[in-house]
Amino acid sequence: MEPAERVDANYELPLREFPYIIRWREDRCTRCGRCTAVCPVSAIEPGVQVQRTVTSEGSTPVPVARRDLIQVVRQVNDIDRYCTGCSACALVCPNTAIEPEYNPQNKFLFFKNRGGAAYRRGGRRNDTGPSTVDQLKFVRISMLTDPALDAGRHEFRIRTYLGRNLPAEALPVTVKRGRLVRDKDAFIPPVREIYPIRIGSMSVGALSPHMWEGLAMGVAYLNEVEGMPVVMCTGEGGIPPRLLKSRFAKYFILQIASGYFGWDEIVHAIPEMTEDPAGIEIKYGQGAKPGDGGLLMAYKVLKLIAQIRGVPEFVDLASPPTHQTKYSIEEAVAKMIQSMSMAWGFRVPVYPKISGTTTAQAVLNNAVRNPYAAALCIDGEDGGTGAAYNVSMDKMGHPIASNIRDCYLDLVAQGKQNELPLIAAGGMGKRGALAANAAAMIMLGASAVDSGKYMMQATAQCFGDEYNRCNLCNTGRCPRGITTQDPRLYRRLDPDKVAERVVDVFKAADMELRKIFAPMGRSTELPIGMSDGLGCSSREIAERLEIKHVV
Amino acid sequence: MIIKGNIKGLRVSSRELEEQIQQAIADGNYRLTIKADGQHGIGGRIWPRGRKVHVTVDGPVGQRLGSMGMEGTEILVRGSASDDVGWINCGARITVLGDVTNGAHNAGAQGVLYVQGGAGARCETMTKYNPRFEPLQSWYFRGVGDSFAEFKAGGIAVVCGVEPRNPDNILGYRPCVGMVGGTIYFRGPIQGYSENDVRLLEMTEQDWEWLTTNIKPYLKAVDRLDYLKELTRSPADWRKFIAYTPAEKAARSPMKISTPEFRRTVWEPGVGEGGIFGEYLEHDRTLLPYITTGEDRRYRPSWNNNKYLPPCAHACPSRIPSHQRSLLIRQGKLQEALELVLRYSPFPATVCGQICPNLCMDACTRGVVLDQPLDIQKLGRLSMELPAPEKAGPTGRKVAVIGGGPGGMSAAWQLALKGHDVDLYEATGRLGGKIEWCIPRSRLPQEVLRKEIERFQALGVNVHLDTRVNRKLFDRIYREHEMVIIATGAHQARMIRFPGWEDVIPGIDFLKSVNLELEPEFDLKGRKVVVIGAGNVGMDIASQAYDLGTESVVAVDIQPPASFGKEQEMARERGTRILWPKVTRKFDRKKGRLYFEDGTDMAADEVIISIGDVPVLDFLPQGINTERGHITVSDNGQTTDVKVFAVGDATRPGLVTDAIGQGRTTAETVHSLMMEYDIVPELRQVIPYERIRSAYYESEPLAEFEPRHEADRCMSCGLCRDCGMCEVTCYYDAISRVEGENGVFAYEVNDQLCIGCGFCAGTCPTGVWEMEENI
Repeated sequence: MEPAERVDANYELPLREFPYIIRWREDRCTRCGRCTAVCPVSAIEPGVQVQRTVTSEGSTPVPVARRDLIQVVRQVNDIDRYCTGCSACALVCPNTAIEPEYNPQNKFLFFKNRGGAAYRRGGRRNDTGPSTVDQLKFVRISMLTDPALDAGRHEFRIRTYLGRNLPAEALPVTVKRGRLVRDKDAFIPPVREIYPIRIGSMSVGALSPHMWEGLAMGVAYLNEVEGMPVVMCTGEGGIPPRLLKSRFAKYFILQIASGYFGWDEIVHAIPEMTEDPAGIEIKYGQGAKPGDGGLLMAYKVLKLIAQIRGVPEFVDLASPPTHQTKYSIEEAVAKMIQSMSMAWGFRVPVYPKISGTTTAQAVLNNAVRNPYAAALCIDGEDGGTGAAYNVSMDKMGHPIASNIRDCYLDLVAQGKQNELPLIAAGGMGKRGALAANAAAMIMLGASAVDSGKYMMQATAQCFGDEYNRCNLCNTGRCPRGITTQDPRLYRRLDPDKVAERVVDVFKAADMELRKIFAPMGRSTELPIGMSDGLGCSSREIAERLEIKHVV
Repeated sequence: MIIKGNIKGLRVSSRELEEQIQQAIADGNYRLTIKADGQHGIGGRIWPRGRKVHVTVDGPVGQRLGSMGMEGTEILVRGSASDDVGWINCGARITVLGDVTNGAHNAGAQGVLYVQGGAGARCETMTKYNPRFEPLQSWYFRGVGDSFAEFKAGGIAVVCGVEPRNPDNILGYRPCVGMVGGTIYFRGPIQGYSENDVRLLEMTEQDWEWLTTNIKPYLKAVDRLDYLKELTRSPADWRKFIAYTPAEKAARSPMKISTPEFRRTVWEPGVGEGGIFGEYLEHDRTLLPYITTGEDRRYRPSWNNNKYLPPCAHACPSRIPSHQRSLLIRQGKLQEALELVLRYSPFPATVCGQICPNLCMDACTRGVVLDQPLDIQKLGRLSMELPAPEKAGPTGRKVAVIGGGPGGMSAAWQLALKGHDVDLYEATGRLGGKIEWCIPRSRLPQEVLRKEIERFQALGVNVHLDTRVNRKLFDRIYREHEMVIIATGAHQARMIRFPGWEDVIPGIDFLKSVNLELEPEFDLKGRKVVVIGAGNVGMDIASQAYDLGTESVVAVDIQPPASFGKEQEMARERGTRILWPKVTRKFDRKKGRLYFEDGTDMAADEVIISIGDVPVLDFLPQGINTERGHITVSDNGQTTDVKVFAVGDATRPGLVTDAIGQGRTTAETVHSLMMEYDIVPELRQVIPYERIRSAYYESEPLAEFEPRHEADRCMSCGLCRDCGMCEVTCYYDAISRVEGENGVFAYEVNDQLCIGCGFCAGTCPTGVWEMEENI
């Protein structure tokens, strides 16, 4: 088409289509520019505007036109520079003159595909409603029927087991002359006693060095100062050799995914390791983006990341959705578990992690029959990620509650529920109730839960939420310094403070778990699968999960 | 009075026993002996009404002895007692000559409990503090069981630790959980206590005085005075617990050690100095605020004065910097301003001022975003009377230019200005080329062109008129000059060979004959004329035809007419009709009709064709390539022979201003090659309209042309107006104006003050300030 002679608003979008609208108050603004300096996406910019007024002062109409040019901070109506609502502007504004406001009318997804590029982001499923797990409540409150415990007064030992727990009759032990004798040649699967809330896998690279070290340090603190055996999964982005060779290595679960990043460095370091890791997680899928792989954008692959991952700088790093040389479930699970077990002399629990799916039971039954499989981790649809297609995040995946429940009941049917631990992930703490979510999942049948996104939100004040706020993790422009490799950004984040918050989070969650478990009389053994203590006001959920329907 | 708890082998119920006791008191019996048989609650709830009541209990005692006991009640148990002795004691003095089991003095508030032996679990829990009464006292001679004094809020408990059942721990497992008040004195070893709630202290003088005073009646009551000396041997044998206050608890750090300390003493010793990434990170291990300066800024402003072309100069093939002309006019340097244009074109009045379609004005930001473009045409005319600018000193270099049209004259002009010796060869007797030959006089007053040609001649180019260059001459010119520029134009009409084409008049010949006043070669009076080709030249032909008395002109074209602007306007005003698409099939001159492929035809006494002209290049040697009739040139005008250049219509059809522009840039290239310096090609991009802050300007009605006013209207795209908005705007005083010699100025940024907010860029009227990634 021939362009109009003077094209002005023909191709522009009104701000009404944008997900967040900047509310800027001219009367409060000092034009100090802090907001525009800090905006991670240049969604606001300084500009000038004309205000023209016509007044008449006397007793007869005498028009006086007045024209003033004022400086403004305005929102850019370019979809490539849309305001993400992160509120860094409001954070730095000395006068409360600016803040973004969520616009529920937005048509953001209608336009966020410029150049034919499907929208990608970080964060979590943009579903603002309560998840199934959040709708579960604890309805068994024993006051006089069971020995009710006092969370504040009694001692609790909240622990779980990572690893295959052989039943007594299957243990290679015999009684000889009144003594228990172990068959030294027989294999006893390695088991770790850990805290049932773990820090889920977030890689070096996805996270900034300050964030990653803060989490790692917090985990070490919890273990060494607080005596809480919290473990953290490294994600697949390599592990700093210094950590690997330190005594702290035992608090970490090393993840291997389809990108195999950093694994040559890990293999090189094995002879120098003084401690075995807590476990090895083989990632086949991620709840946040089932069927989608990982991608670390080239601009996040700076020197540090390149060295740790063993790749050139400034290249896109794809972890494909599938492992390239695994052709069947049997082969994939068996081959990988065996290889990873061999690497540490069968002393380390090795387990697969899959995304929540209707096929989870197939994987479960495969794992049940594999003597080296230490657990099964299932990551539900509410998990977070540093980068994924929006469609994968919003529309794909399986809720974790029914997935874990089905698997657990499947194990019960086989009499294996005490043998192979299930680990639940995806949306744990999505609405802030980390311990309650964990307890609910445990009572549905999980032995432990993983939490990632919540950790970022709670320990580093991540701005992200389910109103698609911020969610810039994939761009390297994280305003909090959590998911960026730009030192100018991540040096905003104090690793010591992150570590302190990790400690806070776990100590508080521990108290909350006690509060939930105490009235059920549980202080030493987790109420795994104790579903009679769970209730839900939704009949559908209650029936589906085989828990009490309470109204 | 004796009350029996078992009558003839039958146990009296707790209720009956209680009724008997209460009745006995009501009857005035203040000294009772109870022969108990496991009854509960004995001795409690007795309101002595000012007297003392003595209750002595023999035999097995049930639970809750003395529970809710009152002031004035004294209970003596001759033996051990069961659970919850003194539950919610409100003042009774209870002496147990034996052990007490679990829960003694639970929730006790006032009164005294003397225990001759030890105690079970959960004793002394939930005790109370009431300032109206003396505090509760509890004395235990041996040790106590687990969970002692949980949630204790008041009263004094003393554990003497004599021959305890557990010699390693006289206070049991985890005493004092949740304790908020009261005091515990104890003597002997313990194994842990609730460190969150209470503090373990040595005895003070006051403590010791209280203990040594009050222990005597206790020991006397439990018949253990012989231990007095041992128990009061030294305050060092005793310790005490008191609760932390809420304020103390709140002030306490929730962390056992701080994380920075953990890093220093545990983490880094374990993983190495600088943490786990220490070996990779090169930056300072300090934190940064959100607002940063210097290298830590994400963006930095840059004063990119003249970094971009304004839309006017970008649209102008001759690149005439009208924005700079405006700046000079605003600075009061009108003469300089007008001369500036002569550095770009020898024809500002003729071309800019008359015949150019003024692409600059179409592009002018002011016209696009606000009201009317700058009147560059009239600004161009202002330069008419100017003399030639001063030439540079002679270089002694000889350059030939073949062709005296706008392209050749532009090149010769530029080269002469730079001091080169230029020979200009023109085939005809006049300079000006198509300006002279083909532009209708009605569009170009002769006087304007004459003046500018005179100025050109005054510059001192060796003009050789009537010198048609052939092969032989070309070779000579080639030999005798360091560089040769071909600017011979395109002077042969392009024809279409449909039947009857021989009778068609070539448009260029028609125009030339008109301008040369060769009438009546073409007698068009009263005739119907069809022009094939509705471009601007076709429009000029139509206008000229009307001037010659034509009855009507129809211009036909196979595509939408390419003509625009003044040419088309003038032709239409005269009555020219434009028809398209029309593909000519044949021309029958005899019948006076022109036939088209679509089956239509029309009256045509004369047909003039104007679908472009082709160069005549018969003088070129083999070494100079041509393509489809035009000389092949590179971007800088160089032909396949390195010392031969070509410009204008000889290379490709274009506007006069195109030829002038090519003449100038090619002259620059030739100059740089001869003088052996690297030419800096014009790679500047055009500044986007959005960068210009039109808000500063007010739309105004068309006014009479006046240079200063026009210069004020110029938005100075990409060129600093030196207005100082940026300097005043900057909140951090990071921008300052610096002035050098000859009024040269610049705006500079103090990086240590600048936070990279972009207010300078957002405020700058001209788009000179830009924010760049601070890498």
